[in-house]
Amino acid sequence: MALLTGWMAFLVTVATIACIYGLLTLGLNVHYGHTGLLNFGHVAFFAAGAYAAAIATMPPPSTVTNASYTIWFNLPMPYAFPVSLAAATLVGGLLALLIGSASVRLDTHYLAIATFALAGVFEDVLVNEAWLTNVSFGMNSVPKPARDVLGADAWQLGYLVFAALSLAIVYLLVERVMDAPFGRLLKGVRESEDAAQMLGKNTTVAKLKSFVIGGMIAGFAGGVYAHYLGSVVTAQFVPNVTFMVYAAMLLGGAASNTGAVVGAFLLVTFEESTRFIITAYDWVQSMLPDPLTGVLPALAGLLPNNPSFIPSLRFVIIGLLFVLVIRFRPEGLFGDPTEIKSLGEEN
Amino acid sequence: MAFDQLQFLQTVVFGLIEGSVIAVGAVGLTLSYSVTRFINFAYGEFLTYGAYLTVFLAGGLFGISLPLPAAAVAAILIVGAFGVGVSRVFFEPISERGALPLLITSIGVSFILRNGLQAWVGVQARQLPVPLMRRTEYFGLVELTDLELSVVVVSIATMLAVHFVLQRTMLGKRMRAISGNRSLAEVAGIDTTRIVRQTWFISAAAGALSGVLYAVLFSPFRPAVGFEYLIVIFAATLLGGIGRPYGAMLGAVLIGLAMNFGSTYLSANYTRAYAFLILVAVLLVRPEGIRGGEF
Repeated sequence: MALLTGWMAFLVTVATIACIYGLLTLGLNVHYGHTGLLNFGHVAFFAAGAYAAAIATMPPPSTVTNASYTIWFNLPMPYAFPVSLAAATLVGGLLALLIGSASVRLDTHYLAIATFALAGVFEDVLVNEAWLTNVSFGMNSVPKPARDVLGADAWQLGYLVFAALSLAIVYLLVERVMDAPFGRLLKGVRESEDAAQMLGKNTTVAKLKSFVIGGMIAGFAGGVYAHYLGSVVTAQFVPNVTFMVYAAMLLGGAASNTGAVVGAFLLVTFEESTRFIITAYDWVQSMLPDPLTGVLPALAGLLPNNPSFIPSLRFVIIGLLFVLVIRFRPEGLFGDPTEIKSLGEEN
Repeated sequence: MAFDQLQFLQTVVFGLIEGSVIAVGAVGLTLSYSVTRFINFAYGEFLTYGAYLTVFLAGGLFGISLPLPAAAVAAILIVGAFGVGVSRVFFEPISERGALPLLITSIGVSFILRNGLQAWVGVQARQLPVPLMRRTEYFGLVELTDLELSVVVVSIATMLAVHFVLQRTMLGKRMRAISGNRSLAEVAGIDTTRIVRQTWFISAAAGALSGVLYAVLFSPFRPAVGFEYLIVIFAATLLGGIGRPYGAMLGAVLIGLAMNFGSTYLSANYTRAYAFLILVAVLLVRPEGIRGGEF
């Protein structure tokens, strides 16, 4: 049964990854968009969730090649899936509580650097502690739930449906929380921490709660990601992930949950489709009339010939996206300009 | 096992050597913060560009191959001018919008500069053409190479130069005035735009110098070198209190010592972590850094 071939398979993959990035972006949006917390260590919560899910469900090391991890729970699979995701959510939240209690009191710049640095320490732990993470070999036998029952294609589609449902539920939950008095308190902290304190609110606790909520969402995203790929490797959790999520959030519009989801879909689609540049180039070349066939190779010949050219260019474009969105459309696609204005002010 | 005094002293010396590399970078970063009021995440790229440009100028990529010191000086001046250009293109147009837009823009700029370089030269490691040197013994206690010694000397000279500029020249006085109160400085007739640009030059040039010193000590390097080292420079900058050049110098020495003591006596896998843990511990007690007050 070749249900998913070529374009369809590609679209399903992109959509699933986009759902996972949508979750990450919703989580970061709780921090930055709704509360004004400049969290530059988001990837750490994502990684914590992914490793928690892997550790909860990985089979014993004796059955896996190149295994050096010493903690595993090997929970039986179909039923362990919700348990594993709950563990991912919990561990993401706990790490957020830990990093948050060390940094949430700090002002803009100090907070940005403290979270960036603490996420760096966490990355160092993942890269160095083989007993926990199996380091560069990675945890490559994370079970894919119901994969053997459904078969490859149906599983791909089924998991996409699951990821999309998760995204929808988290979206509704975040919308609900932001409409509740607690959500207004977070916005109050963002607009003016002093004013919120004057009204007798404990703003440090509010910020810490915001930090934990976003961390839990990112941890959950990590769990969904681990069971989707079936493999968790340290190289997946570099600081660039944090900044990709920022790019998605800013593009969609900070403080807008719809924007967060749309931004994540646009960004992931862009990132995944750059791999077709060579295909597109060949196609254009084959379509050109005879006298023009020399033009494209001549132009391409001017470009540096190294394998990292196109992957690097992708990040140049993401950098430009940061610059252009902030400069010309700070509210992004779906943001509210009046809400964004308060994000720029130094308190 | 008896306490090894020689190893202890040698660790102090290595800490001071690394501290002097960090100090040059931290002073440059903190100076630009003191007049622009945002912390520049693209600052690490000035280190990278300084190191790469020195390699290219010394290695004859542009058709000339300068001796290493001349290549380094040329690279530092070019990166300084480049820093002014970066500021005019990316940061000046939004300079009235507050710290957050500037800070986020600087992340975009760091992506553009780092990956632009990588797209051009690839990810393979480069190396400065520095000779391998034997360590000489000093006072029968510590050993270091002439290169390590010269890194420390260059760094101290840079610190003295920064001190001289800040305290004895009109530029330094104007910078301090803008740092204290920008609108007041403007009312007093200071051309703030010009001073900010000159500060960008100094800041980017210091970044490039720090990158060259880093490359001298820790070759080979890749296009991500500056971005990876940036967090260490941040640690020193924050430890000293952002915007405070003398605090940054002190912070750099402490961070250099912490990293080297940690690697020698605890575990070499967590070099960066020692810097951050000290930083976070200090921030919890004194959120404004170890050195409050004006410079």
